[in-house]
Amino acid sequence: MAGARRFLVRVGDASTPVDVLADGRVRVGGQAELFAVSKTAAGEYVVTDGTCSWRVAVAGPPDARFVGADGASACVEVQPEGEVRPLRKRAGDAGTSAPMPGTVIGIAVEVGQRVRAGDVLLTLEAMKMELPIRAPREGVVAAIRCAPGDLVRPGPPLVEIA
Amino acid sequence: MISKILVANRGEIALRIIRACDELGIGSVAVYSDADAGAPHVRAASQSVRLGPAPPAESYLCIERVLDAARASGADAIHPGYGFLAENPAFAAACRVAGFVFIGPPPEAIEAMGSKISARKIMQQAGVPIVPGETPADQSDASLVAAARRAGFPLLVKASAGGGGKGMRLVRGEADLSAAIAGARHEAMAAFGDETLYVERMIDRPRHVEIQVFADGHGNAVHLFERDCSVQRRHQKVIEESPSPALAAAVRRRMGDAALTAATAVGYRNAGTIEFLLEGAGDDARFYFLEMNTRLQVEHPVTEAVTGVDLVHAQIRVAAGLALPWRQSDLQQRGHAVECRVYAEDPAAGYLPQAGRILLYRAPARPGIRIDSGVAEGSEVPVYYDPMIAKIVAHAETRDAAIGRMLAALSEFHILGVPTNVGFLMAVLDSPAFRAGAVDTTYLDAGGAALAARRPLPAAALAAAVVHAQPAGAPVDGPRQAARHDPWSALPGWRG
Repeated sequence: MAGARRFLVRVGDASTPVDVLADGRVRVGGQAELFAVSKTAAGEYVVTDGTCSWRVAVAGPPDARFVGADGASACVEVQPEGEVRPLRKRAGDAGTSAPMPGTVIGIAVEVGQRVRAGDVLLTLEAMKMELPIRAPREGVVAAIRCAPGDLVRPGPPLVEIA
Repeated sequence: MISKILVANRGEIALRIIRACDELGIGSVAVYSDADAGAPHVRAASQSVRLGPAPPAESYLCIERVLDAARASGADAIHPGYGFLAENPAFAAACRVAGFVFIGPPPEAIEAMGSKISARKIMQQAGVPIVPGETPADQSDASLVAAARRAGFPLLVKASAGGGGKGMRLVRGEADLSAAIAGARHEAMAAFGDETLYVERMIDRPRHVEIQVFADGHGNAVHLFERDCSVQRRHQKVIEESPSPALAAAVRRRMGDAALTAATAVGYRNAGTIEFLLEGAGDDARFYFLEMNTRLQVEHPVTEAVTGVDLVHAQIRVAAGLALPWRQSDLQQRGHAVECRVYAEDPAAGYLPQAGRILLYRAPARPGIRIDSGVAEGSEVPVYYDPMIAKIVAHAETRDAAIGRMLAALSEFHILGVPTNVGFLMAVLDSPAFRAGAVDTTYLDAGGAALAARRPLPAAALAAAVVHAQPAGAPVDGPRQAARHDPWSALPGWRG
């Protein structure tokens, strides 16, 4: 496939190869059908396989690209194949990051304390809900990266467990 | 008369009210917290005043700051919207004392309806049907059993002081009653330090049907028919519609009459809603007073669609002392309207509310579609407030047509950057039970899991995800082959 460029698109835990051919058409997951992608407005595309067409909206950088079509939407990661950039750690991978933005209302552990998987490390309040953040595994609390009253966002770990 | 209204709210309802002010030639004052500086409602108003930091207690819930903003801006009336201070009788009273017109009911009516016990008593005296039940003065087992027999089975034994389901027992028949009384009494004592029990008939699989009422200060009161809000999740309404697919004409008449009786019994003025539980179907269906919402409802556009009136305009007129613009005989239901509440939440992750930046926001424009939204592309959905992004209302000749119109509109409602419930709403609308109009208030909580499953992205979406924002030189637009399927590209001079 001369001139084709291959990308990997990760949706959740699944990676799908997507090839952009020299003529601009796109093959998804090695399937026979080829999609033609036309931009209709900033962030809006009409994608057709010659029979059906879809209206697709896209926004965001390659490592946190939001895609929506027909009532479905997802945050995907787009990476040129062979590029060494590691895939972005998703919120939740860190185990002790906030699942959503919220305020820290209590910290239940201290540095040096031994915790078991499932122990509550701290409690967040977000949108009138209390959300316990639990230890993802057994270990010793190496660092606490927040204080009561802090507004925290998804991403960085709030408690490090060694 | 009213010349300038301070809108003591944020988001879509603040915009809704500000637009009504524009249409009536009345000045508008937006208020905002630090989380909402530059929000669409602030930009839309003719003036704006900062209230304080983001937490509601220091901004939208702070009565003194709202009144200070009203004084500073020269407003002569205050519209509370819904939520925040809307049903706080102390706020309505403080507005009155400070010399502002409160666009809503008198504080006495808010207070009377704010307590479930007092509301129930007033309704019972006025002859409005209530769910049978009582708190016997004599709390002995024998007296509670007698009260249970009067209420009828199935019933709930509840802690009188309670909430959150603590000390609550469902009793299907008399055989289980004494064990339930003992258990509930113990739990009530443990949880609330008060073992007083209350017995109440349980309405099995009810529908939630409410009546919009409106009264003025000249002795006029009308109702604007019903909204069916049976699609709920944990008592949060998700989809509302009018007419109710379950209401027979005779029951609708009786319910409308009961709602007017209820409003009159508390000396109500302005817009309000009487919520009922509907048990059974057809001419024999029974209904029971649930509560009164002494404010404009989130779902008021459903009523506006089918009756063709503007409830906010009427609120302002009536608050200014004018008479209601309609008589009962002027009002009728035309066609069918459905409203969906679009939330920043992740149904597949236990409906976890979401906050974050809206990277892309493209609302559908179609005949018969109304969208009330308080966000714009680039807006933050703040963590501090209700995560509703928009309300979308479809109005059409028939219920089926309204559902079809809503599905088509939702499928092209693109909101990116935060997860939303759009796919979930489509799954509910398209479910056989909803399409058949056979949904009761237990529907989502009992069987919603399958509907909440994440909707898969079509493969075509991945193609666009890769092509999007490719560096210069890379093909961004599709090839000429795509043109064959696009009639517009056949027009000379169109798109190159």
